[in-house]
Amino acid sequence: MQIIEAILLEPIGCLAEFPAQPFNEIAAQCFGRKNKPSKSGSRSYWHLLNLMESSGNQSVEALELQAVEQAVPYEDVIPALTELKAMGIQLFLTSSLSTAAITRFLAKNGLEKFFSAIWTRENAPGIKVAPLQSALTAVSLNPQHVMYLTDTAEGLKVANSLGVTSVLMMNDPDEARRLTTHNPAGGIVSLHELPDFIRLVAAENAMIRK
Amino acid sequence: MKNVSIYRPTTVDEAIQILSHHGSDAGVYAGGTDLLIRLKNRLQQAPTYLVDIKRIDNLRYIKEDADGSVRIGTATKLSELADSDLLKKKYPMLVQAINFISSPELRNASTLGGDLLQEVWCQYLRGGYSCWRNGGHICFGAIGDNSYYHSAMGGRLCYAVYPGDAATALIPFDARVKLATPAGVKELTMEQLVPGDMMVDGRIQSHVVRYNEILTEVVIPAPKPGLQASFEKLRPRGVWDFAMASLALSLQLRGKTIDDARVVFGGISGRPYRETAVENFLRGKTLSAELGEQAIAVALAHAAPLKYNSTKIDMAKGLLASGLAKMNAAA
Repeated sequence: MQIIEAILLEPIGCLAEFPAQPFNEIAAQCFGRKNKPSKSGSRSYWHLLNLMESSGNQSVEALELQAVEQAVPYEDVIPALTELKAMGIQLFLTSSLSTAAITRFLAKNGLEKFFSAIWTRENAPGIKVAPLQSALTAVSLNPQHVMYLTDTAEGLKVANSLGVTSVLMMNDPDEARRLTTHNPAGGIVSLHELPDFIRLVAAENAMIRK
Repeated sequence: MKNVSIYRPTTVDEAIQILSHHGSDAGVYAGGTDLLIRLKNRLQQAPTYLVDIKRIDNLRYIKEDADGSVRIGTATKLSELADSDLLKKKYPMLVQAINFISSPELRNASTLGGDLLQEVWCQYLRGGYSCWRNGGHICFGAIGDNSYYHSAMGGRLCYAVYPGDAATALIPFDARVKLATPAGVKELTMEQLVPGDMMVDGRIQSHVVRYNEILTEVVIPAPKPGLQASFEKLRPRGVWDFAMASLALSLQLRGKTIDDARVVFGGISGRPYRETAVENFLRGKTLSAELGEQAIAVALAHAAPLKYNSTKIDMAKGLLASGLAKMNAAA
């Protein structure tokens, strides 16, 4: 693994626990109701993105804002982001949510100050891979030096398609175990481990150079 | 198993020179009950150059000093500790703990230093999974079967528990250790020696010993009159296994009044887990039948069990209650 210089973060499943219901509701309103909607916010979100991708972008912004209002940030988000920032790691928010939803999410949780840039489906423009691609292009970083945190198979696929270092956020142990078959470059249980992760990778690289 | 080369230095300085020359490719070899299995398990961190310290003759001793403290050379075998009349007399709890370690055959080969600095026994690591301690960047124990050998107190990348019993039992005696380093001798407390998952020389390990340092001596202060101590260990199997939970408990008693306490849990965390909240609670209390229940109410408030190991916390609290009950009965 290469030395990590930047991290792309998707709020859903990486910075906060989002409810599944608003995303399932958007999917139902725009694309018809699914028999067994997922209970996982992340999986519902990515399912919605797949539907949006296959049939042209549609969204119900009010429901996205509702999801943001109900999202519960992980307790170690602020300490972890503070430490990463102090280490000189560039942080980018890359999401397929609307700019309004992301702006509200950051303001509500006091997270605006941590991010060098924010890419949403509107300024990317596009969903899924587009916000990540825009971030990479904007900062001119080698994708191997960029980490993307995700807790879904779809997220891993997106990361791998761009050649960025995919790191699994192991929120649900059973799901995480299944996702290891998608060959993530690494995994963490909690955001507080991320600074150590990056330091260890840097130390490993230093040992190799010796 | 990969080919290895063995050096047989006769002094600590010579050993440090060899270790310094080979960097992280070299490792100290004494009893071999951990190191050779690391090689057999084909772990990435297993060394290629073994520095056999058994010919260094001043690392294997148990001596009492004039002030009543006891010094133990780290190449002393666990069986020698278990058989020591001096230790049985002065620190019976330590001997009790040593007798809980593995089997008589292995205690006859294992050294005190090896037990203190042993690698974790996570089944994923030993099974060759590419985890944090084996060249990878993920902890399979955190998302797999973590019922036995993984932390119930949170983790830091690696969630395997620190498996040693000797360190857990030595902390209540306020034992210290000496490390020989290229810059001279360094002294640490036992807690400083094994603080849990540390990044040292670009790798994760349970202890702070660098690649070119050698643990040479453990010093145990003289026990004060009135010190009562006990060690209990719960294992998946009745014999020869690592702790699911263990407890080293020591109380400084004046009659039934507790003047001071040490409460150290093993098998539940990436380090011997000293529970200062319980120690503070016990200080000044009187031993009684109810004290155990009261103590477990304040114990392990920071527990963060993984999916399958919350029972470890119950076990640890049970050990605390039973340990205090036994002390009460004996006092």
